[in-house]
Amino acid sequence: MSSRGTRREYNIVVLGAGGVGKSCLTAQFVQNVWIESYDPTIEDSYRKVIEVDGRSCVLEILDTAGTEQFTAMREIYMKTGQGFLLVYSITSLSTLHELTDLRDQILRIKETDHVPIVIVGNKSDLEEDRAVSRNRAIHLSQSWGRVPFYETSARKRQNVDEVFMDLCRQIMRNEAVLDETRSERSEKKPLGKKKGFCLIL
Amino acid sequence: MALTMLAPSRTSTSSSSSNVNPYPQVTRQNTFSSSDGTRSARTSKRYSVTALYMSMHAHDKDIEIEDDLARVQKTLRDLKAKISSQSKKNFVLEKDVRYLDSRIALLIQNRMALEEQNEVASHLEDSVEILEGTFPSDQKTQQYGNLFFLLQSEPRHIAALCRLVTMAEIDALLQTVMFTIYGNQYESREEHLLLTMFQSVLSAQFDTTPEYSSLLRANTPVSRMMTTYTRRGPGQSYLKTVLADQINSLIEHKDLNLEINPLKVYEQMIKQIEEDTGTLPSNMPRGISAEEAAENPQVQAIIEPRLTMLMKIANSFLTTIIDNLNETPYGIRWICKQIRSLTKRKYPDAKEQVICTLIGGFFFLRFLNPAIVTPRSYMLVDGMPSEHPRRTLTLIAKMLQNLANKPSYAKEPYMASLAPFVHHNKARINKFLMDLCEVGDFYESLEMDQYVALSKKDLELSITLNEIYTTHQLLEKHAKELNKAQDVSHLNVLLAELGPAPAQVPRKENRVITLPLYSRWESAIDDLTAALDITQEDVCYMEAKSTFVQLLRTLPATSPAVRKPLNLTKIADTAAKMRDMGMFRKGMRALELLEQLRDLGVATDQDGYLLLREEVEQELVHLGSLKDKVVEETKKLDEVYKTIRDHNTYLVGQLETYKSYLHNVRSQSEGKQRKQQKQTVLGPYKFTHQQLEKEGVIQKSNVPDNRRANIFFNITSPMPGTFVISLHYKGRNRGLLELDLKLDDLLEMQQNGQDELDLEYVQFNVPKVLTLLNKRFARKKW
Repeated sequence: MSSRGTRREYNIVVLGAGGVGKSCLTAQFVQNVWIESYDPTIEDSYRKVIEVDGRSCVLEILDTAGTEQFTAMREIYMKTGQGFLLVYSITSLSTLHELTDLRDQILRIKETDHVPIVIVGNKSDLEEDRAVSRNRAIHLSQSWGRVPFYETSARKRQNVDEVFMDLCRQIMRNEAVLDETRSERSEKKPLGKKKGFCLIL
Repeated sequence: MALTMLAPSRTSTSSSSSNVNPYPQVTRQNTFSSSDGTRSARTSKRYSVTALYMSMHAHDKDIEIEDDLARVQKTLRDLKAKISSQSKKNFVLEKDVRYLDSRIALLIQNRMALEEQNEVASHLEDSVEILEGTFPSDQKTQQYGNLFFLLQSEPRHIAALCRLVTMAEIDALLQTVMFTIYGNQYESREEHLLLTMFQSVLSAQFDTTPEYSSLLRANTPVSRMMTTYTRRGPGQSYLKTVLADQINSLIEHKDLNLEINPLKVYEQMIKQIEEDTGTLPSNMPRGISAEEAAENPQVQAIIEPRLTMLMKIANSFLTTIIDNLNETPYGIRWICKQIRSLTKRKYPDAKEQVICTLIGGFFFLRFLNPAIVTPRSYMLVDGMPSEHPRRTLTLIAKMLQNLANKPSYAKEPYMASLAPFVHHNKARINKFLMDLCEVGDFYESLEMDQYVALSKKDLELSITLNEIYTTHQLLEKHAKELNKAQDVSHLNVLLAELGPAPAQVPRKENRVITLPLYSRWESAIDDLTAALDITQEDVCYMEAKSTFVQLLRTLPATSPAVRKPLNLTKIADTAAKMRDMGMFRKGMRALELLEQLRDLGVATDQDGYLLLREEVEQELVHLGSLKDKVVEETKKLDEVYKTIRDHNTYLVGQLETYKSYLHNVRSQSEGKQRKQQKQTVLGPYKFTHQQLEKEGVIQKSNVPDNRRANIFFNITSPMPGTFVISLHYKGRNRGLLELDLKLDDLLEMQQNGQDELDLEYVQFNVPKVLTLLNKRFARKKW
């Protein structure tokens, strides 16, 4: 939805396996707080106004459930989201593996290969428990066509702003490209063709 | 098979999976030592005796008891078997539909290579029914029979395997484990073995998780196991009982908006004002911050009553959940109990709150709340709830989750307005979560069940070739780690005999095999009595009790012998004088048993065998109320079975649609390559308004009632995948309306969750239209 003012709104969705720290990352970014408690998310939404390259924009952030039992909700998020933070934990390799399925689903639903995505390796403060090397994630990023990758620590607030900013820039660039192509591409044809109704029952 | 009187130990265990009573107590109350005060040390043994006794007489065909109880029990057993096999079919179908769901979108967008089209096609071939078959050699049948007996009766192997497999492998393994190896969802032995496996996997997870806050959070084979487990009959049935009414009455109110996020409320408010007045007042800017929205007095005024309403609804959900404590499936409660005891063991200082949080992390997070948030995936509602009810359900789930966990309100600040709900119900929920754990263990009965299984010669498993081979492959692949973990000498012997695991067979060649299960390492049944330390008296007493109950259930209600107070000698005499050979033998046996009991000094005829008589009477009372319970349970399971079958119809219909769509795509692309095939026009077929309304194709009609009889539809398919629907009014030549329809469009609408197809005068339901077109215009398959 475009606003009358200069601010533009962007929908960001935070996705990833259970317990990788999606909510902690989001809460740090939005509210500058560290959540200590055990508090699994079902669906939380936030708004934050940030300044990116001199432009003020409103980020609508949707923090989602990592618990796999809630996957049926994902499709709706993916439809509305314009940019996606795909979060894993550097202490668990399987959480990195889960990102591939998430990306596939996003591309499928978006019907395009150009969706703004940032790969986020959270819990970088737990170096002693590291199970995913940086190289491994870099490799994944390259195989997806050099998707930006960061390691973050929500606890220490390292790289937190950076991942959101990066995503926001990507969405802005993407929008510019979309605006151009949109004018070229013809509108999608409406369903079916109705013809010849004239009588009143 | 005649059910002996002692069947309650079995019935109560099996019914425990869906309700009735915390079961071991029942059986224990009914063992003969239950009326003296010194029994506790011996109760466990008595319980085992019951089971042993039951096993000895499981095949007693002397008397077919045919009273009401026996009949309703049989109905229930049949129903349970049907639910078990149907839910497996659905599980397999769901997997196919899931796979195709993800592929069909690509196909619609013409983004699928021919190669992949072929792969998709192979998924669709013969996906519905798998034929029966046998192994080529008896030797293989025997070897796999040995292997699966071992896997079934020693769950530790599967448990170890579950921890080793990757997420990609887990689904195939779980299908085999939950729906085949332990597929009989209402049979106590299989259920208990499955739970034992759970315990071992859970306990390993507790061992390897460094801190409690990350316990049970990640998506692991364990969490997948939990999901799959809750999808079995008892879990489904519970969700339906507890949630279906609540959710359905909520989603009826399509326009009930209970949004309490100030930002969203503010936006909806200004949008409404803009729509109503055409402009936006200058004091209402867009894009304000969360804090600004929360301070807006108008927003506050909108939110206030919604908070009250939400708390009321959440409270009614909570009350229903708590009231249905006893409906909660035994297995799910038992898993809660394991979480509690594992937490206590690993973190001895853990406060009750921590324990409740973890139990809530399973019970609410993994079981109830997913069903509340997406009720359609759990077959609780028919259609996708509309936007407002969907949001309300999400809020309810969030409130319940907050209640189970300690909310910090550090996340969404507006949720703090619901703090009174948490505050008022915290004690209530903690008590409930603790009560959930209050179920008995099953180890003793399991031990007994195991012996029974050993003694029976007719253990069988209905399993597909591919399930066998997948399991074999996984065992082979992870053999090294399995060897490290524990003693697997028996397993290794069997695997060595079998040799390398065969590859999967194509779906077409997959067969269902009936595999007789038996142990390579036979243990003699004679050892049982010794192993269980059962005395002659125990056996004699139990048999006497069982025999008298059988007699009483079989004697005509008019016989003086069944009048109370009971006279055991008279009962036995009456039976012994009957012409019926079965009754005669039972009667004679009863007299013998009474004599033996006298000789052993366990009972005396001076008090009319008081203790025994009282227990027989108790048992009859118990059986009487048992019948009501069985009838009640049957009613509930009937519902479950119906839901499962409906879901099956839906899944099969979905597959059919994909099938014909793919067929069209391929015949069209073939047509381009080869000479154009002759195209036959199908139809027109005529459908009346009434007919389509009845079938649910018409979901909304604007046609006045008195005109409906005059409306009909013609559907023609000029070529595969294309349909023309026209609407006619009787007596007029030209149709009122004509609609060109491509199968692609319909499928795309379905993908997007768009259920309505607008025909101006009527609204069609997209999935129902698909089903109709499929049925009527089925063309020859490729």
